[in-house]
Amino acid sequence: MSYGDKQIGDTLLKVDNITLAFGGVKALTDISFEIREHEILAIIGPNGAGKTSMLNVINGFYHPQQGRIMFRGAERRAMRPHLAARQGIARTFQNVALFKGMSTLDNIMTGRILKMKSNIFQQAIYWGANQREEIAHREVVEKIIDFLEIEAIRKTPVGRLPYGLQKRVELARALAMEPDLLLLDEPMAGMNVEEKEDMCRFVLDVNDEFGTTIALIEHDMGVVMDISDRVVVLDYGRKLADGSPDEVRANQDVIDAYLGVSH
Amino acid sequence: MNPAAMRFSLWLLGAPLLIAALGLGFQGMAAIDSSLFFTWGYFIEVLIAGLLQGVLYSLVALGFVLIFKASGIFNFAQGSMVLFAALTMVGFIEMGLHWTIAFVLAAGSMVLLAIAIEKIVLRPLVNQPHIILFMATIGIFYFLDGFGQTLWGSDVKVLDIGIPKDPLFVAEGLFEGGILVNAFDLVAALVGAALVAGLAVFFQYTRVGRALRAVADDHQAALSVGIPLKTIWTIVWSVAGIVALVAGIMWGSKAGVQFSLALIALKALPVLILGGFTSIPGAIVGGLIIGAGEQLAEVFLGPLVGGAIQDWFAYMLALVFLLFRPQGLFGEKIIERI
Amino acid sequence: MFYRESGQFKTSYTADQSIFPIRQDRIGLLILGLVAVLAVPALASNYFVETIFVPFLVFAMAALGLNILTGYCGQLSLGTGGFMACGAFFSFKLATAFPELHIVLVFLLAGFGTAAVGVLFGLPSLRIKGFYLAVATLAAQFFLVWMFNKFDWWTNFSPSGVISAPPRAVLPGLDVTGSGADPITKYLFLLVVVTLSALVAKNLVRSRIGRSWMAIRDMDIAAEIIGIRPLWAKLSAFAVSSFFVGISGALWAFVYTGSVEALAFDINRSFQVLFMIIIGGLGSILGSFLGAAFIVLLPILLNNAPAALGLRISVELVSHMEFMVFGALIIFFLIVEPHGLARLWQIGKEKLRLWPFPY
Repeated sequence: MSYGDKQIGDTLLKVDNITLAFGGVKALTDISFEIREHEILAIIGPNGAGKTSMLNVINGFYHPQQGRIMFRGAERRAMRPHLAARQGIARTFQNVALFKGMSTLDNIMTGRILKMKSNIFQQAIYWGANQREEIAHREVVEKIIDFLEIEAIRKTPVGRLPYGLQKRVELARALAMEPDLLLLDEPMAGMNVEEKEDMCRFVLDVNDEFGTTIALIEHDMGVVMDISDRVVVLDYGRKLADGSPDEVRANQDVIDAYLGVSH
Repeated sequence: MNPAAMRFSLWLLGAPLLIAALGLGFQGMAAIDSSLFFTWGYFIEVLIAGLLQGVLYSLVALGFVLIFKASGIFNFAQGSMVLFAALTMVGFIEMGLHWTIAFVLAAGSMVLLAIAIEKIVLRPLVNQPHIILFMATIGIFYFLDGFGQTLWGSDVKVLDIGIPKDPLFVAEGLFEGGILVNAFDLVAALVGAALVAGLAVFFQYTRVGRALRAVADDHQAALSVGIPLKTIWTIVWSVAGIVALVAGIMWGSKAGVQFSLALIALKALPVLILGGFTSIPGAIVGGLIIGAGEQLAEVFLGPLVGGAIQDWFAYMLALVFLLFRPQGLFGEKIIERI
Repeated sequence: MFYRESGQFKTSYTADQSIFPIRQDRIGLLILGLVAVLAVPALASNYFVETIFVPFLVFAMAALGLNILTGYCGQLSLGTGGFMACGAFFSFKLATAFPELHIVLVFLLAGFGTAAVGVLFGLPSLRIKGFYLAVATLAAQFFLVWMFNKFDWWTNFSPSGVISAPPRAVLPGLDVTGSGADPITKYLFLLVVVTLSALVAKNLVRSRIGRSWMAIRDMDIAAEIIGIRPLWAKLSAFAVSSFFVGISGALWAFVYTGSVEALAFDINRSFQVLFMIIIGGLGSILGSFLGAAFIVLLPILLNNAPAALGLRISVELVSHMEFMVFGALIIFFLIVEPHGLARLWQIGKEKLRLWPFPY
């Protein structure tokens, strides 16, 4: 493992004074932080703090009323999620957003859609250009399947898989997009200790081998302290702290928030 | 005053203005194109005829709203329930019973039907996606259609329970010759109003009504708090069945009881789009708009394109609404959480 | 035991991704092909061919089209009849305006025209889903049928209002439309057209575009996350689906009934095709064929069963009972096997793995 030698690059994505409100309810108030290239950033906070909303904003699902997002130095106009995907942002969900009607292999293959170029007529004929492209992408997908150790279930319809494996398939699909920024929403939720260890290993490997920048929401403090380079703490839609795991652990506001001291 | 009531009152005030504007528009068009005929008296007549026709649409749409509100199911079979109810009523009358007794018996048959539907169709399909349930109701539609006609035959039946059908002339002072209004349509409107009022109260203020709303939201959650799904669904479909019976009596008295009644259900769809699938007042307003719009378009715009616009006008209007306000005038906005 | 896959290993992704990877399937397909091409023309009477095989193939085409839109992409459509009418009338206008144009080209152009209409009526699908979209397609259905009925231009101002499809040959001497056409010729022509269409459909469905359709169907929000543009995916589904449905309408008018009338494509037709794909299996190419066969054969069965059983039932009553049986079957299939006959077929094959051994 080469944590110590990891080169953290410049700012990849910067979130500036983001305020998001639904009707009268403010989900996020004046949030600013940045995600640096090649790092693993953890976003933590009590339930309802606005963590998923933050990811949704980065993803293009929600459009903040105030504030702006800078991606690679350029300001990003309000955009739909599929444009965010084209920019290189991939994402997993708390409630596993897989395509239940398709097999594992097909699900992961959908992640390659942006990289496929053949037109409708080539696809209608299939033999020739389209087949070559399908096989090429299949090979990439199989590498990811090997990487995440899910070979045995590649033809199983994902609706039939246990929750832990579904999460892994969702991660595989996100990886298939070859993203620059990977957003993981509670990737370890509902897993036992062994599964968590596996997932941690995968997350670290992804960051290590492919250099993918990762931002993850996580409740398990052990995981957060172990694998993240920096931590952002949210509570009631506001940012409480921002720094290395040790700094955040010692921060009084953070301790109060988690222990429930009213403020 | 809550937002919905405010919106309702705004519409109430805005409607006469809209109608006046439409009238002026048609008057202008008739001045230019000699094939179009327009007098204000005629305009009001067509408008009222359309509105009252709209009430009949609303009666059918009400049944939809009930079932959708309470079970989240879009009951495509509502139209054939109307037909079946009317056929049953006529059948009992033809056996020599007085219409009030026939009504009670027909209502009872609808309750039995509701129990059967709940047992055979709804229970096995609980928790399936809504599209599956919708398609199941299409199956019920065809089944009921065939069943009703197998039982009672498929001739056009006459249904007459003594509702006055005389034409009345009103406002003879204002307009030359007065405006022709049919007494029957007025009775239908009153019946519709009474039914709506009763149902609105039922949903808002009774325990059963609350349970129905819970079930509409989430079957599993409702089950887990102990709401008896079976009973609720049977109640809802029975009430919808009785509403269908009333609608069937109104339609049947007006146009005879025949197969095409089942296809009225298709017309109710635009009504629901306009009014919102979960709103009882919406069903009324939607029905009025569709009814009036259809008639006005047919009489005043139809001649321009050869007529029979009413075949598709309602659906096109619904389409336009879908593009700009999918939840209808009174429905709830659906927010998808990720 | 006859359907054992063990021992059939694939050594390349190409082999793994072929349409019929299992050898027994390939043999079965070969046999079916031989029966269809050789046995049917030789053994079936003209009457059989005209009343069973020809409509079966035409319906299979329509079901194929609707399955792409509703089964694979999840967009419920009740406008199939209207789109079939488009194909029929476009073909008629093209065939009469350009008599030298080959009939296959006429059908293809009509298909493209219908695809354009399909895209137009599919535009609302960006904002609305589920049965709200079904209402939009109803608007298409009623409007299109009204339009073809109302404007005499479509029937070339025919005085009687009933127009027959002009006779056309696919190869010199081989008439496929018009009263002079031989049923066997028609049947073989349709067989080729429908088989090619099924192949194209299968290819599309297992490629990128098919996966984007299924992604939209399963969870359109997630589909957006991975970069699928929802409007593009839905409109392409409408386009491809309407292409096939349009051609099926043209085939219906030209090859099957011989006459072009709007009433043949009313709302009941739309429901009929929808039933085919529900019973046959949503999201399955095979299912489209199975459903079409089922719906074509069922009325014949129902019509002949009472006679066979010695009962005398009036024609009217039979048609009512048809409705009842249809309705009951829809409900039955939705409860027992929502994936239709295609799934039952798959389960049957799985049982064949063991049969005649118990386990």
